[in-house]
Amino acid sequence: MDEKPTTTPTDEQLSFWDEHRFMLLIVGTLLISIVLVSISIFIYNVSGSAQLDLSRPGYQSVSGKVDDTDPITDYSPFGPVNKATVNEFTKIYDTQAAKAKAVDAFNGDPLNPEVLEFSDPATSTE
Amino acid sequence: MKKRARFALYAIAAVLLLSASGPNNSYAADLTPEQTDLIKSNCLSIKGSLNQLHATDALLRVNRGQIYESMGTKLMASFNSRLSNNSLDNKGLVAVTTSYRSALATFRTDYQAYEQQIAAAIKIDCTKEPASFHASLESARIKRTIVRTDIVRMNQYIDDYRSAVNDFMLNFERVTGQNS
Repeated sequence: MDEKPTTTPTDEQLSFWDEHRFMLLIVGTLLISIVLVSISIFIYNVSGSAQLDLSRPGYQSVSGKVDDTDPITDYSPFGPVNKATVNEFTKIYDTQAAKAKAVDAFNGDPLNPEVLEFSDPATSTE
Repeated sequence: MKKRARFALYAIAAVLLLSASGPNNSYAADLTPEQTDLIKSNCLSIKGSLNQLHATDALLRVNRGQIYESMGTKLMASFNSRLSNNSLDNKGLVAVTTSYRSALATFRTDYQAYEQQIAAAIKIDCTKEPASFHASLESARIKRTIVRTDIVRMNQYIDDYRSAVNDFMLNFERVTGQNS
């Protein structure tokens, strides 16, 4: 009676992918990470979050100067409407409006060639 | 109609602002050889000024931005909701709030464009590419003027909302006075 030789798992011929599955796992993980990070950076740049991120290089001088000492008071959307509650609202509103307009933001012309000292001498002297 | 007139006024103001610097204005002007030399020789100091402006404008954007955002969400929207919850007419206030939000969205986009432009200008080597640097700087200058116009527009809407609240209060007092 002929018996087929029994094979143990260690004797099996492993395919290329079986043999390198750990490496495949590492490479796959890295690829997925790269794709996800790329998408995140794209969203970070496109959404405008980058412009609000003062922890970026070049902003160290101002990163500690963000005004977070005076949070704006919420006005409840629920409750009665009468002279007293409207006056309460206008008081908060006027305070915040004054703060919004306290700084003449983006005024002036700091990118003018004259300010940056490279204006045309011929036209500057006119 | 009022809105259109206001936007036309803003557009005219922006054009006037751009042309206000008269003969020294060099928006579209070509770079003269003297200017090229000045850019090359002052490259380091110009870059220093730009870096400083870049940082201070970013801080301004964050600090002003959070005030403008909160005015819209924490005050205008909440007050509109309260009136609505009490079944009171808030159409005038809602209209101003919608315009304000739209102006705020425009400000966000315009500031982003300005910031990206000034960052691009800073990256250019002004000793090797003075013309390209100058063009990039002029573009950033125009975009900064647009951001300034957005700020003026938002401040105007803040005043408009306050006037609308006064109008509402006058009307409310008149109506409740008649009812009581």
